Amino acid sequence: MGARLEVRSLHKSFGALSVLDNWNLSIRESERIVLLGPSGSGKTTFLRLIAGLERPSSGEIKLSSQQMGFVFQEPRLIPWRTVEDNLLFVNEKGDISGILEKLRLSGFAGFFPAQLSGGMQQRVNLARALLVEPDLLILDEAFSSLDLPVKTSIMKDINLHWQEKRFTIIAVTHDLKEALFLADRIIILSPAPSVIARELPVTLGKGRNFSSPEFLHLEGQLLDIICSASN
Amino acid sequence: MRTGLRSLFGIIVFILLWQLLAVLLDKSIIVPTPGETFGLFFQLLLSPVTLLAGLQTAWKVLMALGLVLLLGLPLGLIIGLFEPLYDMSRPIIMVIQAVPVISWLSLVLFTWGRNWQGPVLIAFLSILPIAILTTVSGVRNLDKKLLEMARLYQVPARKIMHDIYLGSLLPFIIAIIDVSLGQAWKVILVAEYLCGDSGLGLKIFDARSFVDTPSVYAYTLLAVLLGIITERLIKMGTGRLSKLWVPV
Repeated sequence: MGARLEVRSLHKSFGALSVLDNWNLSIRESERIVLLGPSGSGKTTFLRLIAGLERPSSGEIKLSSQQMGFVFQEPRLIPWRTVEDNLLFVNEKGDISGILEKLRLSGFAGFFPAQLSGGMQQRVNLARALLVEPDLLILDEAFSSLDLPVKTSIMKDINLHWQEKRFTIIAVTHDLKEALFLADRIIILSPAPSVIARELPVTLGKGRNFSSPEFLHLEGQLLDIICSASN
Repeated sequence: MRTGLRSLFGIIVFILLWQLLAVLLDKSIIVPTPGETFGLFFQLLLSPVTLLAGLQTAWKVLMALGLVLLLGLPLGLIIGLFEPLYDMSRPIIMVIQAVPVISWLSLVLFTWGRNWQGPVLIAFLSILPIAILTTVSGVRNLDKKLLEMARLYQVPARKIMHDIYLGSLLPFIIAIIDVSLGQAWKVILVAEYLCGDSGLGLKIFDARSFVDTPSVYAYTLLAVLLGIITERLIKMGTGRLSKLWVPV
């Protein structure tokens, strides 16, 4: 089962710069949440707070996670270690060949990161996060540097894995399509100091398609909400 | 092949210029001819006493280098990790680095007289600051994002040290060895000359005492040859070591 998250009156500032302002948020077990907001709206800061890499200035974060997987914006692979060794680094007992096969990386276990394309490096980043059998998967603009076909293919892999394992997903992005492809609920943020401006439940089914009328309708709706949130 | 030929040509030109200078000066006490020097050099090469002196010097160089790696790397690592410790130790390291070799020599002579420990200690002290400061630079150049990733996945400290720290520091360790080896050879030879009881430096001292300039040249050639051989052997070792960590 996935992790639960409760956020109450959360504030975060760096010196005089206030980034998050009075955030209140509940995330259910196995829910897929995407935070959507402009650059500098504190999306990554929020993820770092959840992961314990930053401390809140005030407020409370209650997280029930036992094991978290974090897909960083940049792959963060050890350059002098092979794909297999990079995975072994986080979990010596994990099913490495199984995860490599699921993410279509079989045959690349002995490759070094520099020998892989950006998309494949990001797949290894994802494989590392999934190898620890997370109950919470955090995606920090994980696909921002990838082209659409690669991005879609990785997101499909995540959705397939989610259907099997039912972990909670918290992702941040500023890409509308990406948000609609992944989320059960989209949280729209205002510019910094950001507040949670609106929430949008995503009622699309399992097999999401960028060109379906429902997808395009929700995309238009989301765009309207973002424009009004920015004003 | 072409580079090798050019180098060979350079050596031949150098020897010809040497010969010309020796003939023009006609004073063996200042510049002996290459023929005289090389003749003596090959004679010395066959002498067990000279070979023993060469080995004694090489052994001291390796001992000084080993001690520097054994102490300098952990010290540099600790100092690099803790900023206050760096601020505290920096003045001491700077002082050790700035003290001239001749001052260490005097202190060693007062304390121990002529023995083998003196040259090792002096070489150790003269290259230790390089090792510490280079390791500190390496620690400061570590990819903090990799460390954050390791922290997030709660990777044990032993693995972080082996996979991230050692891998990141390896180019710096190799640089320390490269820089220190040449320095150690020169310092050990000077220290043997002035406060040693064995080795090629002492042989040069003895040759100078007997105003035997060709022998000074021949021993110097031998020291250069041994220095190059040691450097090549160690580079082969460090090359293999780096292949363990760094992708081909």
